[in-house]
Amino acid sequence: MERQIINKKKRVFSVEPNKIPPSEVFTRKYTSLLVPALKKLNMNKNSSQVNQLTVKHEVDMALALSAQEFAWSRFLLQKLSSSNNPTTTTSSSSNGIRIQERSGKEGGHEDGEREEKLRELQKLLPGGEEMNVEEMLGEIGNYIKCLELQTIALKSIVQDTT
Amino acid sequence: MLECLVSLESMSLSSMDVSVLERLKWLQQQQQQVLSTTNASPELLQFHGTNNDELLQNTFSHFQMLGSGFGPNYSMGFGPSHEAMDGCISRTNSCQMDQADTVGVMLNNSEENITIILKNKRKSEVKTREEEKTEKKIKVEAETESNMKVKSNLSNTEASSETSKQKSKAASETQKLDYIHVRARRGQATDRHSLAERARREKISKKMKYLQDLVPGCNKVTGRAGMLDEIINYVQSLQRQVEFLSMKLAVLNPELELAMEDLSVKQFQAYFTNLPVVVASKPSLMVDAPLFPLDQQGSLDLSVINPNQATTIEAPSASWETQSQSLYNTSSLGFQY
Repeated sequence: MERQIINKKKRVFSVEPNKIPPSEVFTRKYTSLLVPALKKLNMNKNSSQVNQLTVKHEVDMALALSAQEFAWSRFLLQKLSSSNNPTTTTSSSSNGIRIQERSGKEGGHEDGEREEKLRELQKLLPGGEEMNVEEMLGEIGNYIKCLELQTIALKSIVQDTT
Repeated sequence: MLECLVSLESMSLSSMDVSVLERLKWLQQQQQQVLSTTNASPELLQFHGTNNDELLQNTFSHFQMLGSGFGPNYSMGFGPSHEAMDGCISRTNSCQMDQADTVGVMLNNSEENITIILKNKRKSEVKTREEEKTEKKIKVEAETESNMKVKSNLSNTEASSETSKQKSKAASETQKLDYIHVRARRGQATDRHSLAERARREKISKKMKYLQDLVPGCNKVTGRAGMLDEIINYVQSLQRQVEFLSMKLAVLNPELELAMEDLSVKQFQAYFTNLPVVVASKPSLMVDAPLFPLDQQGSLDLSVINPNQATTIEAPSASWETQSQSLYNTSSLGFQY
């Protein structure tokens, strides 16, 4: 909740709101979310070490909150808020819901391979298994973009502290 | 959120508005060109200006002001842009079929269009009606609705298929020479399943093309399986990077208070004018030196920087480069403290 408040406080209004590239918006939101959250973590856990998992949790949370226009972020938020033990995005849920695809008119083998990979991709995307394939492919695109931006933002934060 | 959607669509608008014209032109040249777009990308820019007005009149006239601003940024488009693309195709197609033959344009991301052309030439004429309606929806809601819309509009395609038949008669001769496996729409009023099937496959291949642009190194791999492999690897490596960075951050966290102040807006503006290079709060710090062009921003607010940071500014650029190199080399996760 506090994070959302922080998010609102740090909302950036530009003179020409329509012309902000979404990547910039995302990165601003992301860093403005993450940095205070990390500071807070720091302050709260003076005695105990800052757990790596908690940091990861914060990182994921910031990602999800910064990209709320996308479906995958909602799933990510769900995952994060439901489980106190943060599930990292890299760990693929083992047997998720497999969405059966009707095979097209192409050869069976080729298609089977492709569907296998599509399912793998679905596992990578938070909430990917609950989407159908087309939707998932679209979401993967912006998920990749957000991941890239997140990487860059994290790098800059890390380099600031060293 | 609406704003965001609108702005995202407009990103693709300027690049998509000529897609219909070039699509039909493409029919004639289809045999020569399979999926290579590199030849034609220069052509795009020529036509972009000339056809812009005509197309935009019939399409998103209210997006016009936004479209120009987002032209160069199309590659950063997000999911909804696909549907906006479809909408562009639909509207322009229904209104200006005659010009199609005279225009030969290639879009930068025309790979997607080519597959549309190659595979769905005839189908798209019918599909335009569907997508026309879907496109309006997108302005308000998520793109997932469009899938439902396609199915719900199938009944409309029956009526529209006949009108589109007549329109397509002019180009029908050339169409017969095409290798498109899509059967003639004439006389095929029903058979909704195959229509839906085709629509679905079309969309999927379109999105695959989009992803191909997004993921570096995907162009060399042909075939969907290989591409999907690449995409999977890329996503996994990105996630691993994030994990690695957060691990680092966890270790470094105690120092965070000293180092980080509020990042000013200027820093990010410089970042985004030079593509993905993040300018940190310290003026001399650059990220990803080996991968992205370095740019010094001397005008950063030094006042933002905490005096405590002065000691940490000394970090030489060499360490960043090695850091960033290791970050992108996920196989060697070296901790550098």
